[in-house]
Amino acid sequence: MDRKRVAGPELSVAPLVEYPVDRKCWIPQKDHRHDASRQPEDMRPIYLKTGLINQANGSAYIELEKTKIACGVYGPRSVKRVGQGFSGHGVLNCEIKFATFSCAKRRTNVRDPQEKNLSLIISQALTPAVRLDLLPKSAIDVYITVLESDGISSCLSAAITAASAALAHAGIEMLDLVAACSASYIPTGPSITATESAGSIASSPPQIFMDADLEEEKHEQGSIVLAYMPSRNEVTHVLQSGKAEGAIISQSVEHCVEACNKIYAVMHHALLESITENKSV
Amino acid sequence: MASASTATPATTAASPAFTFSASTFQKLHPAEYFRKFVSQGVRPDGRLLNGFRPTTVHHGVITTANGSAMVRIGGTTVVCGVKAEVAEPRLDAPDQGYLVPNVDLSPISSSAFRPGPPSEQAQVVSEAIHRVLKESNVLDLKDLCIEEGKAVWSLWVDVVCVSYDGNIYDAALTSVMAALGNVRIRNPTYEEGIVKVSGAEDLSDDNSFTLKLARTLSSATFALFDTNLVALADPNFAEESVSQGRITITLDEAGQICALSKIGAGASSPALLRQCLGHARERAQELRQLMKQ
Amino acid sequence: MTSVADAVVPGQRLGHVQEYAPGAGTYLHQDFLYASVVGLKQISQSSSNELPTLSVQRENSQSAIPEIDAIVTCKVVRVNPRFASVSIMVVDGKPCTDDFQGIIRVQDVRATEKDKVKIYNSFRPGDIVRAQVISLGDARSYYLSTAANEYGVIFGTSVAGGSLIPISWQEMQCTKTKIIELRKCAKPM
Repeated sequence: MDRKRVAGPELSVAPLVEYPVDRKCWIPQKDHRHDASRQPEDMRPIYLKTGLINQANGSAYIELEKTKIACGVYGPRSVKRVGQGFSGHGVLNCEIKFATFSCAKRRTNVRDPQEKNLSLIISQALTPAVRLDLLPKSAIDVYITVLESDGISSCLSAAITAASAALAHAGIEMLDLVAACSASYIPTGPSITATESAGSIASSPPQIFMDADLEEEKHEQGSIVLAYMPSRNEVTHVLQSGKAEGAIISQSVEHCVEACNKIYAVMHHALLESITENKSV
Repeated sequence: MASASTATPATTAASPAFTFSASTFQKLHPAEYFRKFVSQGVRPDGRLLNGFRPTTVHHGVITTANGSAMVRIGGTTVVCGVKAEVAEPRLDAPDQGYLVPNVDLSPISSSAFRPGPPSEQAQVVSEAIHRVLKESNVLDLKDLCIEEGKAVWSLWVDVVCVSYDGNIYDAALTSVMAALGNVRIRNPTYEEGIVKVSGAEDLSDDNSFTLKLARTLSSATFALFDTNLVALADPNFAEESVSQGRITITLDEAGQICALSKIGAGASSPALLRQCLGHARERAQELRQLMKQ
Repeated sequence: MTSVADAVVPGQRLGHVQEYAPGAGTYLHQDFLYASVVGLKQISQSSSNELPTLSVQRENSQSAIPEIDAIVTCKVVRVNPRFASVSIMVVDGKPCTDDFQGIIRVQDVRATEKDKVKIYNSFRPGDIVRAQVISLGDARSYYLSTAANEYGVIFGTSVAGGSLIPISWQEMQCTKTKIIELRKCAKPM
């Protein structure tokens, strides 16, 4: 039992949801997304703003419709965990935390393996872009709080984008900004609804939906998250999961790179906006 | 910056031969830096001694929560989300639900907070909010009953601090009250040990209910600074770290005191307390206007 | 006067290496200069036969970190016969957001008669000291030195609680009780 928090009931569960019989459920079809206004290659509109956390050296807030993520960067500061010995390089620590109310099901306060895994991916995606060789024996701490999540892959890519904007806002020397984007492979077409056999799913090639939301993720057979440095044209991290053919993967990488260039424009705009705001003050 | 325009020449200290910029002086001698401002009747950020920072309240910002609110007091930003889940009631209170507030001072919000289990400060704030909600009967827990002795609602009220710049209690309490006022729960049905709710798309008064709050609490915090009895309303982080004590007054809409605490070593007189109470009443008016949806 | 048109973000290509010399806030990659921070682009020409230097003026300066030869202001945390532990609060006039740890070893207190130095007669906990970084030190602390006239204690509090005023390079006097205490003082600049 957690004595450091106000205690509630030991066990609580979400109520069972009983859907009405005539409920219209979204079924993946060709060129038909959960949000009907979006084309398969469309992302959700991005709102990105830097500098909302007073005490942080750099900060950013990103919103993709329902997905809402805040990121704060602290440092370079002295390494708190001593034990690795002297290091001529700085360290980049990333930590992502989901607020308890951020998902459909309440999350507990215990740090779960998923958060640890995502934290590791984020630091791997950002480390190549940060000039850590200039910061001997210092640490940069990147904290990310997910206030609301609408799809895990899109959440991860938004977190990387926000963290990179926050690092740039903190005045830390970087080789390039890192933009990240996700895509899901979703089997479409009538074959899946007509017959439930596994063979028919494989026969129809899945469609690539960019920046899939939670409802679309439920139908995916695989997904890809790509972190990319747009002006250097270098990929810093790729995470592909699930089953997909080579052609689909290379096509989705192309789509992601294209989308990352669009995200870069948003980041560029947000960072320059902070300059003009500072000037007017 | 406001501080630059109001900065007094902060270059003299014990030995006048060493000169510093205002920011360096603040870092080296925070208390001395502060004293210079307060003796002039202003604060480094340009506020008067009894001035509160601009406050905003946004309702329903989180769609995955049953109720939510975001509150900003100056540089402090908190987000409160309420999740309703089903739990078994306590044996000694078979018809009462649970109301569980917790405040998370996450490391994103300040360099003073470290990752890990809740700090002492977070525990103190959580417990203070828990007590004031419970003891002033803000919510009748019997309203949360689904089936007596079998199932009740448990309201998990979680406050996440996104940006910390002092006065977390006022911000957290305001967000909790605003989020509770915003809660909408689908009407439950109890059948053979299973609680079901309807999954209909649109929520209306027919298929869901809101909470009946007995009173709306609002609070005002003052930092006690120095021995000459100066109370600073709504302290920010820098002011909190040099202050010697704090007075927090929690009022309901009728102006009744629901909680009053004075912590720390700083002394206070009855006159000062009355003065704070007056400011707290004005502040409560202002906050209630903001909390209205 | 710089305009917003000169504003750049990390990764933005600024020019060819044959046109400009890389300055602060830029880096070189495959014969091209790129920005590494958010800020305003600036071109400065020092002499006519050199390439103009291209640098980026940071918009949000990175929080200060100690470097070799930097002048720091620090507070003494504890002392022992071998060294004084300090926490570094200001680096080159810029306050640090988070303090760094440093030590002043007994041999680095002053330049002459090093073997006669006693840490307790040089620094006391709570003193504010100006010092220079001589080494990045070990995993934990930076190594600092006060072996020059302008380095040493700049503010101190006496045993009685009054503030101390320097009367010689190794003595300070309490303003309340006029008692003389020993310190390694900094020469006022």
